[in-house]
Amino acid sequence: MKQVLIFAEQTAGELRPVALELLGAGRQLADKLGASLSCVVMGHTITHLPSLLIAGGADLVYIADNPALETYRTLPYRRVFIDLIASMEEPPHIILLGSTTTGRDLAPRIAAYLETGLTADCTELDIGPYEHTSALDPTKVGLYENCLYAIRPSFGESLKARILGPWKNPQMATVRPSVMIALPVDTARQGAVQEIPVVLQAEDLGLVVLETLRAVSESVELAKADVIVSGGYGLGSTEGFGLIHELASCFENSAVGSSRKAVDSGWIAHAHQVGQTGKTVRPKLYIACGISGAIQHRVGMDKSATIIAINRDANAPIFKFAHYGIVGDLYQIIPEMIQQLKQGTPSNISKAGEANVLTYTL
Amino acid sequence: MNSFVLIKQVPDQSAKAGVNADGTIDRAKAKRMLNPFDCFALEAALQTKRLYGATVTAITMGPPPAIEILYEAIAHGVDRAVHLCDRRLAASDTLATAYALYNTVRYAGAFDLVFCGLQTTDGDTAQVGPQLAERLQVPQVTYCESFEVQRDKLIARRVTESGTQVVECPLPSVVTVANSAHRLAYKTLRGVQRVHQLQRDEVERNQVIRTVSLDDIQADPVRCGLKGSPTIVAATEKVGEIGGKCVLFQGKSIDTMVSGLLTDISLAELVQR
Ligand SMILES: Cc1cc2nc3c(=O)[nH]c(=O)nc-3n(C[C@H](O)[C@H](O)[C@H](O)COP(=O)(O)OP(=O)(O)OC[C@H]3O[C@@H](n4cnc5c(N)ncnc54)[C@H](O)[C@@H]3O)c2cc1C
Ligand SMILES: Nc1ncnc2c1ncn2[C@@H]1O[C@H](COP(=O)(O)O)[C@@H](O)[C@H]1O
Repeated sequence: MKQVLIFAEQTAGELRPVALELLGAGRQLADKLGASLSCVVMGHTITHLPSLLIAGGADLVYIADNPALETYRTLPYRRVFIDLIASMEEPPHIILLGSTTTGRDLAPRIAAYLETGLTADCTELDIGPYEHTSALDPTKVGLYENCLYAIRPSFGESLKARILGPWKNPQMATVRPSVMIALPVDTARQGAVQEIPVVLQAEDLGLVVLETLRAVSESVELAKADVIVSGGYGLGSTEGFGLIHELASCFENSAVGSSRKAVDSGWIAHAHQVGQTGKTVRPKLYIACGISGAIQHRVGMDKSATIIAINRDANAPIFKFAHYGIVGDLYQIIPEMIQQLKQGTPSNISKAGEANVLTYTL
Repeated sequence: MNSFVLIKQVPDQSAKAGVNADGTIDRAKAKRMLNPFDCFALEAALQTKRLYGATVTAITMGPPPAIEILYEAIAHGVDRAVHLCDRRLAASDTLATAYALYNTVRYAGAFDLVFCGLQTTDGDTAQVGPQLAERLQVPQVTYCESFEVQRDKLIARRVTESGTQVVECPLPSVVTVANSAHRLAYKTLRGVQRVHQLQRDEVERNQVIRTVSLDDIQADPVRCGLKGSPTIVAATEKVGEIGGKCVLFQGKSIDTMVSGLLTDISLAELVQR
């Protein structure tokens, strides 16, 4: 039977949201294809995960539970993945991974190993026919059914491109987090669980994780924050982020984000970057300070429930998609906001140590 | 020690020239630039030269004008360069690109570290680095923010969604560099003089910058370009501009605007207490 296979990413025994989003997207593709939806999950002491994955839409869960897989490392995960595919009678029709740092690290290795096509960072997926007529490469000409349509923004996102590779299975794609919709959890769903062997080679084990420093700042991940205050090039300096942190600390469960230009300028670590080459976020409130609203930034945050923009240029593109805006100098507006927010909630005391930013330079 | 850095020339998307009305890029007309993400990779490679005395080789695959970014790299202190330039590479997807670059790397000789940018602004996939590592059968460190070399090992920090990881990785390996720690320093005076010299002296230029074809690097043309690419762009579609409604506060005193905003939206449940 045709198979759609997804990679279910987990950290420390907790599924990443993108795992369930991929199951939601994969379920639709599998149903269109008349295929089964399977997923592979790797880690250590993760026997509680298969039931969650089945409730999330999987027909079959392949599980590799082994101490060597506890923390993600490219080569051990790659080995288990390619061995799994080699053990199948026919390769999966489609393989999907999240375009997280892990998915983008692993997927290209697997695609290159399998010599198959891989489309990066898709925002839409579909199944349909495709007729290749161009005779530039005669071996490709023909009508193909059941192709994966991997749709992604391109050229600075002013265009959407539909990318196809029906000539060889698996047809692979990575999918942007927070875009696909997970299915409602259905604990009555039935599915099978299959343990898969973990046979690592010496050369898979050369890289060792020495240390994991959790969290960006305030021990809150951008992806999980309710409120994100982001700073851009308009801050003018690394010191400007002090103010951004101070505003963030006025809110519960908040985090600090940034534009790429602020990161490129060396003012803040890449881990804070929101956008096409950073994180996709969907907080309840996003406050963009000194950010112009370039399309590459927008795609990372425009699903936020409420967007407030502070910019001194009334024509800045960010005001085209922000819900609220203040036109003016952020160095005047933010301190006033902090003051008014604190007055509004007199019991507010900023948490000790919260303004400490972890810096990552060795 | 030998460090390679993979750099690509891309159209400058901020310049209006060469951007068609439908958003596609006319590469012939567009201004060209060094992929901004590759500046960080270049700086990382130059750091191995400064700290460990590495010889740095810049490698690019692209049409003839791509030599411009190799000059730029030399002006920054790169020692030598290889330019893979062959019409049969046209329409390469990432798999075909990685295959061609793999053969170029092998042609360029032994290496300890290959630095790649996080991604290109035109190809925009972040796939070529890991796909190259797969071909080379070496480990990789992606999203690397800073690193040191200790004996024959790389100690690197990488950024992930949930924090930073410190890893120890054997050499040789492939590193893709995140855009923050390694800001490209200024061109060196010596580098700039060297470029002037190379532009005048063809014999020396051909020694420092090798321009090679698929035959020179012994790559199989069937695995390159259109034929070697398992994916194609089947269709493109313009994305409509969104126009939302923004409640805008402007032209009033700061405290009026801020209190206007804060009374308009209820932030009560989000505010720290
Ligand atoms: C392939 C690719 C990937 C990219 N990925 C990302 C990504 O992931 N994330 C991302 O953010 N960008 C990304 N970019 C870059 C993006 O195109 C923009 O260059 C970037 O977002 C601009 O950052 P900015 O808004 O901070 O800076 P600018 O565009 O320079 O805007 C600064 C703004 O600050 C305002 N300002 C200045 N001073 C003040 C002040 N005192 N008070 C108030 N306002 C002030 C100005 O009016 C201006 O609007 C990517 C680009 C490419 C090509
Ligand atoms: N044509 C090329 N020549 C040299 N290096 C390249 C080329 N294409 C991609 N790369 C390298 O691979 C990285 C990722 O590119 P991409 O997969 O296109 O996003 C780039 O930052 C470069 O370091």
